[in-house]
Amino acid sequence: MYSFTPEIKVCVLFPVSFVVRLALVVYGDYQDRNMVVKYTDIDYHVFTDAARFITEGQSPYNRSTYRYTPLLAWLLTPNIYLTVVFGKLLFIVCDVLSGLLIYKLLCLRGTARYVSSLWLLNPLPMGVSSRGNAESILSALVLGTLLCMEVRRLTWAAALYGLSVHMKIYPVTYALPIALSLTPVAFVKSLTTAPFCCLIRYGWVFLHETYFYHLTRRDIRHNFSPYFYMLYLTADSRWSQALGLAAFLPQLILLLVSSWTFHPDLAFTCFLHTAVFVSFNKVCTSQYFMWYLSLLPLVIPHLTLSVKQGLGLLLLWFAGQAVWLAPAYFLEFEGYNTFFLIWLAGLFFLVINSFILVQIIAHYRSRKSLDRQKAE
Amino acid sequence: MLFLTKYISVGMWNMHMKGNGDQEPCFFLKGLQPSLYVELSHKGFHREVVTTVELGSETPADVRALLVYRWPRDVYVDPYQVASLSHQRGWQMLFNTAIDLEEPAHRTSEFSTYVFPSHAGPTPNPLKVTIPIHGRYHKPSFDGKTFTPVHIELPELLLWTKKCTPFQRLEPHTVLDAPCTASNTSICSWVKIQNPNKNSVPMSLHLPVGDGSTVRLISTGTLVVTLICCVVLCHSMLKHQLR
Repeated sequence: MYSFTPEIKVCVLFPVSFVVRLALVVYGDYQDRNMVVKYTDIDYHVFTDAARFITEGQSPYNRSTYRYTPLLAWLLTPNIYLTVVFGKLLFIVCDVLSGLLIYKLLCLRGTARYVSSLWLLNPLPMGVSSRGNAESILSALVLGTLLCMEVRRLTWAAALYGLSVHMKIYPVTYALPIALSLTPVAFVKSLTTAPFCCLIRYGWVFLHETYFYHLTRRDIRHNFSPYFYMLYLTADSRWSQALGLAAFLPQLILLLVSSWTFHPDLAFTCFLHTAVFVSFNKVCTSQYFMWYLSLLPLVIPHLTLSVKQGLGLLLLWFAGQAVWLAPAYFLEFEGYNTFFLIWLAGLFFLVINSFILVQIIAHYRSRKSLDRQKAE
Repeated sequence: MLFLTKYISVGMWNMHMKGNGDQEPCFFLKGLQPSLYVELSHKGFHREVVTTVELGSETPADVRALLVYRWPRDVYVDPYQVASLSHQRGWQMLFNTAIDLEEPAHRTSEFSTYVFPSHAGPTPNPLKVTIPIHGRYHKPSFDGKTFTPVHIELPELLLWTKKCTPFQRLEPHTVLDAPCTASNTSICSWVKIQNPNKNSVPMSLHLPVGDGSTVRLISTGTLVVTLICCVVLCHSMLKHQLR
């Protein structure tokens, strides 16, 4: 076990992590103005355009490919009124807030708080939030839910959980373990309040763009999903629906089994849910990795893996992405027909992710078993 | 936003000039020999169409140019990308229809774009316009072909000047009605220049397509691997469940 005086480090860690993210935002603005390859993500322009429509009294869904909650566009209206980097500043604040929530959760769970630096000093979330992706808002909401559950502030937990499901669908997979802790009324209210308000304001198009589009989405363009090529080849065939359903089954089975086997440990269950959801989803892009990476710092202190083993798994994860990215680059930017290789790489990445999850499950010790070991 | 509501092709007109009647109608066209060269750059799904227009030294300074592109459904131009680039590149684009950025080729249709140089002063000579285009996914191929050809027509060059009311003596050129500017608030009579192209052949590119003949192998392999991973994970979860 490590002996550590984290107080001084915390005074340095949070400001440093914020300043680094701020520097990336400034650099991103420079790169966008002066270089051909832009730093800012395309999604950020979609959010800003949607916010502009709101300032003109129109629906954010007038912006093609805006498939998010209207709340996000409303939140980013200062992009139009104040400065276009407002959204990025909001995202990096939420990113650092996520680090703070991780720190608080680790304190409550009595585990090594320095692990929060794995998020705060991690270049992946730094890059994602400074490029203008809104994933950090969601990670803050999910971590806030877990923190409120931990301290039994159930009304706040319900509100934050409902808001997180409203922002993105995937946290709905946490419904079973969370529902066991909330009253039925609070649970239902949490999931319906925000969507009801948006439905009144924007009607059917809100339901379609925010929820139904993602539920029925069949993106045939190349992505990390192991199902990508199968769905592309069968998109117009009579087997399309049946195969879509078959693709959904492993995801559903794993979500149910993980809820059943690990529900006493909510943080670990949520991590497993998210990792399984992303790995077995019909569409998978690198932004989705942030969904489970934000929960990984809560799991790491409970792992009995050695540093060497942990680094080995990390390298394996990166290697899996690199093996996919190579043929994907040659397809998209060089025009080679690498569909078959991308398919193989997608399956290989799924096998790697499954192996990593098996290792995490096998080496995870919950708080109860750690306390039991100490007592013995 | 930028929609063309009407596009009319007008033949030769026999009308008298308005005003004093002592102006030679569009005299500058007689000696004008504009040329247009188009090339396709980059590879893969993201390309650039680079059009260079040379109006010729005899062209009056107030002549404005309009480039009309007719795009096949195999590619698309992103209106939002173009809007962000137009300030840097000195031209504006008008679309004749809404563009879906995500649909595959067989679910979309052809479209046209109108490119207006946005300089306040004379049209640059030569005028260079670079348009980013993106390939769409196509239906898988079942005949063993791994690429699908995409042919892009060369753009039309239209000219306009305030002093010229081009109703007669335009051979071989013709008159077309088209928006005056990218704001699409009024229609002007433009002169369509015949055969300005220096390109000997139209532009073409090849986009990769999926191999439909492997659908059984791909589907079986995908479902088997995902099932195996699912079973292994379930086994691990049940073996190490919290008690």
